[in-house]
Amino acid sequence: MDLLFDSMQSAFLLLISLDAELLEIVGVSLKVSFGATIIASIVGIPTGFIIAYSVFPGKRFLLTCLNTLLALPTVVIGLFVYSFISRRGILGSLDLLYTQKAIVIGQVILIIPVITTLTIAAVSRIDARYRMTALTLGANRYQMAAVILKEARYGIFAAVIAAYGRVIAEVGISMMLGGNAKGFTRTMTTAMALEYDKGEFVLAVALGISLMAFAFGINMLFHFFQGRMKNDVV
Amino acid sequence: MLYKLENVQRVHGSRTVLNIERLEILPNSIYTLIGPNGAGKTSLLQILAFLDKPGSGRISFNGQQVKFNEKHLHGLRRKVVLLDQTPILFTGTVYKNVEFGLKVRRITRDLRKQRVDEMLELVGMEKFAGYDTRGLSGGEVKRVALARALALHPDVLLCDEPTANVDRENQEIILNILKKINREEKSSIIFSTHYLSQGQRLADHTLLLQNGSLSDLFDENIFRAALSRPKVEEVICRLTDQLFLNLPSDRVPPDTDSIKLQIDPKKIVLDPGGEDLVPGNYINGQVLDLSMDNGGVRVEIDVGVRLNLVVTMDDYRRKNPGIGDSRQIFIPHDGVVCSRTDLPQS
Repeated sequence: MDLLFDSMQSAFLLLISLDAELLEIVGVSLKVSFGATIIASIVGIPTGFIIAYSVFPGKRFLLTCLNTLLALPTVVIGLFVYSFISRRGILGSLDLLYTQKAIVIGQVILIIPVITTLTIAAVSRIDARYRMTALTLGANRYQMAAVILKEARYGIFAAVIAAYGRVIAEVGISMMLGGNAKGFTRTMTTAMALEYDKGEFVLAVALGISLMAFAFGINMLFHFFQGRMKNDVV
Repeated sequence: MLYKLENVQRVHGSRTVLNIERLEILPNSIYTLIGPNGAGKTSLLQILAFLDKPGSGRISFNGQQVKFNEKHLHGLRRKVVLLDQTPILFTGTVYKNVEFGLKVRRITRDLRKQRVDEMLELVGMEKFAGYDTRGLSGGEVKRVALARALALHPDVLLCDEPTANVDRENQEIILNILKKINREEKSSIIFSTHYLSQGQRLADHTLLLQNGSLSDLFDENIFRAALSRPKVEEVICRLTDQLFLNLPSDRVPPDTDSIKLQIDPKKIVLDPGGEDLVPGNYINGQVLDLSMDNGGVRVEIDVGVRLNLVVTMDDYRRKNPGIGDSRQIFIPHDGVVCSRTDLPQS
C-alpha cells in the first residue's frame, strides 16, 4: 500500500510542480503520438472507406489480414522498421534510427490497421439508403462519400481515439527505434521502463499515473470536440 | 418517349426479380405501379432511377440509350429523383436536408434559400426548417423527403409507396402534392402502391407487376381456389364452401390441387342477357358499393367473396344497380386466369 500511496503522492507532486524534464518527456510523447495518429488517419480512413464500399476478389482475405495485423506486437514492428532504417538497411542513409521520425514511422505502421478496420466497421454499419439517397439527389461519388463519412463520423472518431490510445501507451517501438535518448526520444513509456530498470519504482508508477492523467485529459478533449461537431450535411 | 425498356432482366442470386419484355413510359404523365410484395416494384423503380443496372436488356431515356457507366449515370440521375419507401434524412436540420441536392448542384445560396422555403411551404413543413431531423414523425420525414426531391425540379419523380406507413391526413397531403407538381411543373411521376383505388385515382396509366413481369390483369379479384377434377375436360374451383367456378381443364395448371385465380373486373357482366353463347359461370350476389372509375362505374358485389366489376356508364344507367340489391353476374371463362402462385386466402 505504501508503494501505491507514495507513487500517487509523487505523481501529484510531479504534475503540480510542472517539472521541466517531465514536461519534456510528455511533450515528446504527445508530439510523436499525435504525428503518428494524424498520418495513420490520413491513410487509414480513406483506405477503410474504399475497402468497405468496394467489391473485389480477395476482400474477405484482406479483412482477415487487417484483423491479424491488429495483434501485431510492437517489437515485431520495431524489428521490421529497424531492418530498413539501421545503417545497414536500405534506408540507412536517411539517418532515421533513434529519431522521433523513426518512432512515428513505427507507430504509423502499428495503428494503420486499427484505424482501417474500425473505419470499415463504422462505414459498413451505415444504412445503405444514405448512399442511394445521396446519389439520387445528384451527388457525385465524392459528395456521396462525404455524406457517408459524416454519418459514420462517431465510429471513425472512435477509431482515431483508439489508435491514439494504442500509440501513446506503446513502449516497444519507442524503445527500439527511438533509443530512449533523454530530451530527444524519451517518451513517458520509455521513461517508465528506464525508471523501473533503475529500481525507481515510485517514480515509474508516478510516471504511469501521469501518463494516465494526460491520456484522460486528451480523451476528454476529443470527446468535447466530438460533441461539438457541427450538424452540416455537406 | 420518356423511358423505353426492352428485355430488361434483373437477377438476384438464382431469382429473377424483374423480367420486362417491353415497357414504354410517356412524358408528363402520372403512372402507378401496382403489385403485391416481391413483385419487383422497387427493383424497377431503382433501375428507372439509374441507381441499379439491369443484368441484361436495353433502356433508353428521352430517346437516348442509357450507358451504365458512372459518368453517364450521374448526368441522368440529375434529372430523375427516387423517393424511397422509407426515406432516410441526413443528420442535421430539415433545412439542410432540403438544401442538399441544390448544394451539390452548386446553386447559389440565395436561390437555394428561396427553393427550400418554397418546398417546405408546399409540404406544410415551413415551421420545421430549423428542426433536427431526428425528432420528426414518419409522416413528417416523408414530407421532408418529398420537399428535398421536389426542390430539384426533377424531370421525373419516382416514388416507392409514397403513402405507405403514413396516416390518412399525410397520405392526402402527399397525393395532392404529386398531382399538383405534375400539373404545374409537368414533371413525370411514377409511383408504386399496394392500393389499386389510390393508384387509379391519381394516375393516367396503370402498370401491374407480378412476379417481376408486367401483367395485363388488375391486382384485384385474386383468390386462392382448391381444385377437383370430376371430368377430364372440366375442373371445379372451390373459392369458398358455397362458391364454385367451373372451368375447362385447359385453363387450369395441371398436376396441382390449389391455384391462384384472378378475375378481370372488366370482363364480369352485371345482369347478363345475351352472353349465353360464351362459356362461363353465373353467380348471384348482393351489391355492396358503387364508385366512379375512369368514366365507368365500379361495382363491389358479395358473391360469397367480394368481387369488383367495372361497367360502362351506359350499362350502369340501363341496369341501375343500387346498394343492397340482389343481382346476377356472369364470369366468362376468358375473364379468369389461373396460376400456381401462392397467395394468402382472400
